Amino acid sequence: MDERFSGFGAFILYTITGCMMLFILAPLLLVMAVSVSDSYFVTFPPQGFTLKWYAKVLQDRDFLEAMRLSILLALGTTAGSLLFGVPAAFALVRGEFFGLAAIKGFLLSPLIFPALVTGLALLQILTKLGSQDARLNLLIGHVVVTSPYVIRTVVTSLQLVDENLEDAARTLGANRLTTFWRVTLPQIASGVAAGGLFAFMVSFDNYPVTMWLANSEYSPVPLVLMRQLVNVFDPSVPAMSTIIILMAMVGVLLLEKLVGLRRALAA
Amino acid sequence: MTTSDDAVAVLGVQAPPATLRASRWRLALPVGLLAVPMLAFLTYFFFYPALGLLFSSIQTQDSRGIIGRPFTLAHYARLINVELYARVLWTTLRISIITSVLATVLAYPVALVMVKSRPMVTRIITLIVIAPLIVSVVVRGYGWQLVLQNGPKGMLNWILMTLHIVGAPISVLYTEVAVVIGSLHVFFPMMVLPLASALGKIDPNLEDAARMLGAPWWKVFLRVTLPLSMPGFVAGFTLVFSLTAGSFVIPAILGGASAIMLGNLIEQQIFVVYDWPFGAAIAAVLVGLVLAVNGVSMWLLEGRRLRRPD
Repeated sequence: MDERFSGFGAFILYTITGCMMLFILAPLLLVMAVSVSDSYFVTFPPQGFTLKWYAKVLQDRDFLEAMRLSILLALGTTAGSLLFGVPAAFALVRGEFFGLAAIKGFLLSPLIFPALVTGLALLQILTKLGSQDARLNLLIGHVVVTSPYVIRTVVTSLQLVDENLEDAARTLGANRLTTFWRVTLPQIASGVAAGGLFAFMVSFDNYPVTMWLANSEYSPVPLVLMRQLVNVFDPSVPAMSTIIILMAMVGVLLLEKLVGLRRALAA
Repeated sequence: MTTSDDAVAVLGVQAPPATLRASRWRLALPVGLLAVPMLAFLTYFFFYPALGLLFSSIQTQDSRGIIGRPFTLAHYARLINVELYARVLWTTLRISIITSVLATVLAYPVALVMVKSRPMVTRIITLIVIAPLIVSVVVRGYGWQLVLQNGPKGMLNWILMTLHIVGAPISVLYTEVAVVIGSLHVFFPMMVLPLASALGKIDPNLEDAARMLGAPWWKVFLRVTLPLSMPGFVAGFTLVFSLTAGSFVIPAILGGASAIMLGNLIEQQIFVVYDWPFGAAIAAVLVGLVLAVNGVSMWLLEGRRLRRPD
């Protein structure tokens, strides 16, 4: 691990890496800088310092309403995808049945399917079914896109569980449910938490499914932000964006604490 | 990790007694049943609707908006034959390919540094690469809109003009270039992570051996590191291509009227024109494109027995 690069190759590597870090951070930092600038239009370089745009955003009925909806939706989605996903992951790791690999592929397939099309297909069938409650429709759509993430993280952590421990508990007289609660669950807890956090964040940020299933009454945060982008030109849009960026940072740090970022994502 | 390692040490690694194996086998069926709710849910709300959408792409919509017979392939023909729509298809392909290639070239050094640096550097790079992944795409698109803003008040133009690199502001926003930049920003982590994962699995002894035998660093890279990291490259390329091809937000914010992609065309057909069969046909083409790329990648990863990064 301690292997360093040397000479010209190293110079190129570090230069490109440094530039890419700048490339990644620049637009986010600019948004944050502009959100406290004291001018009525967004310009560069930002001028002055004020928090009035935050005050404006925090009084914006549409934004607050959207925030409430998005958080509730993300919580419901997390619950739903854990409820369906954890047992499914358990079946995939512990089950021995015909077509296991195919079923696993099927359960993870929403990950490679364009989300935009998933949402459109859902809109078509929900319209046919006469399901008009946008909140319910959004919940269904979000569980479809987030459950594969839960399955993937929980499968990964289940694979690390030592089955001998479960066998030991069973030999000592615990039934399957007790064994699951007292032996298995504590070992996969961080994986389940990471999966749930993932589901929350994917749901909170989702646009391609949400755009089909929301309506004017129930619009989650990304849709409201998109509308503001087109219609509002003062720094209240960067202020909203900054609030979202900061929320994401909290999520990232939580993930890093829970399981480590690489493991949470590269699974 | 440590808990299970300790457990192995305590309990020993030998297989449990035959009676336990048997009881686990007998319980195999109920364990499998745990997947049934998820399967039922996805079948009903994902698989079946997707087939339904595909089905309406070969049907006809009458003047009242009802979709039914006769069956036709006219919508697909329209996408290919009408120049306006065909152009969107080509734009989508072009943007997706350019973004994936750029992402590969730029992600490789980052992944290398990420894997081979001191733990502290690795941590910081990982954090910076991954953090934006969790920030809403709308926010990131907006950030680039601010950076690329046409006219002297945009950040890029201000920098270029202050440094006297250009005399007059350049126009990048609302072009394909802007969409490529935005997509690269959004999907860059999807390339870095699989690459880093593949690079991390390469046995450092192989590179050491090559070096000891006198190979210069670039030869070690070309002959040892690069070939062994191919699985990560294939996985990353597939991800970036698929996600870029299916994007909506970035072209909507950064592309304006000149870089419309398939996703935007679908949205327009459904929400503005209300032409469901044509919208469905475009969606089917998009899915076909993405599945084809994924199929080729799976064939490469398994057919050529490249080790898949996980």
